Amino acid sequence: MQEDQEMSPQSIGESKVVVVSCAGMDKALGSVARAAAFKVTEKLKPNETVLVCIPPLLAQVKPYPDLVKKYPVIVVDGCAERCATKIVAKSGAKIRGRVFIPQSVQKYGLKPIAASDIGSDGEKLAERIAEEIAVQIDKLLGK
Amino acid sequence: MSMTLADYKVGIICCSGEDFPEGTISRVATRLVLEKLRPDETVTLCLPLFLAGGEDERAFARVFPTIAVDGCSKKCAEMGTRKFSGKPVATIVVSEVMKKYPQFKAKSREKLNAEEMKLAMKVAEEIAKKVDEILCKKTKK
Repeated sequence: MQEDQEMSPQSIGESKVVVVSCAGMDKALGSVARAAAFKVTEKLKPNETVLVCIPPLLAQVKPYPDLVKKYPVIVVDGCAERCATKIVAKSGAKIRGRVFIPQSVQKYGLKPIAASDIGSDGEKLAERIAEEIAVQIDKLLGK
Repeated sequence: MSMTLADYKVGIICCSGEDFPEGTISRVATRLVLEKLRPDETVTLCLPLFLAGGEDERAFARVFPTIAVDGCSKKCAEMGTRKFSGKPVATIVVSEVMKKYPQFKAKSREKLNAEEMKLAMKVAEEIAKKVDEILCKKTKK
């Protein structure tokens, strides 16, 4: 999305799912969350998703609060703090899907290297998570 | 017990926004400062945690000086810090820094290419300069 581009629930259309991801700076799992969100919204489901950024959502910058209220939301949390979940819940949105990255690490046995470079296992992990999110999106949109 | 300069840290709060490439540049530039340019003088504060109510992050920002690194003119990092802890000592806006380097274009949001990495390093150097200014003032006091 470009900064000067108009974005509103009306301009975006009907059948969408909002993805809100942790953007954690401290941990590699935050970087995996972010990478997975990009893979879904840019590659796997670009026409069915809107990526909503946490800071402007909490700051009530338009149109972010309207988007999370209008569309079903999938949150991607990087750690037990679950900031994405907390912030989306505070915004009055309905969370319809959740991904908790530490669980995915255990499930797939893939561990990212560091926050600045998640490495090839981190990339693979982000791809697997993105595929899971894509399945959730199809279900939510009745596909 | 008084605080020595070795105990003194500057907190860097970056927007890390996913909407624009500038958000990714803010994130990478912050990590470059933390890991390469000023590893002993800086810490990062996680903006989502800070906004979600992380008391440790907020307490740190009340006691230590902070630099907000924002990707765009919404200045979410600066706004959040101001709201929950106090005004950051400095704010660096990536889109403003980019105006100084029109030869570099930023397009990627997920992974930065070589040119975008150069831009991230330029932003990191500006952050490091601010860190030095803040610490220099502290030593003069």
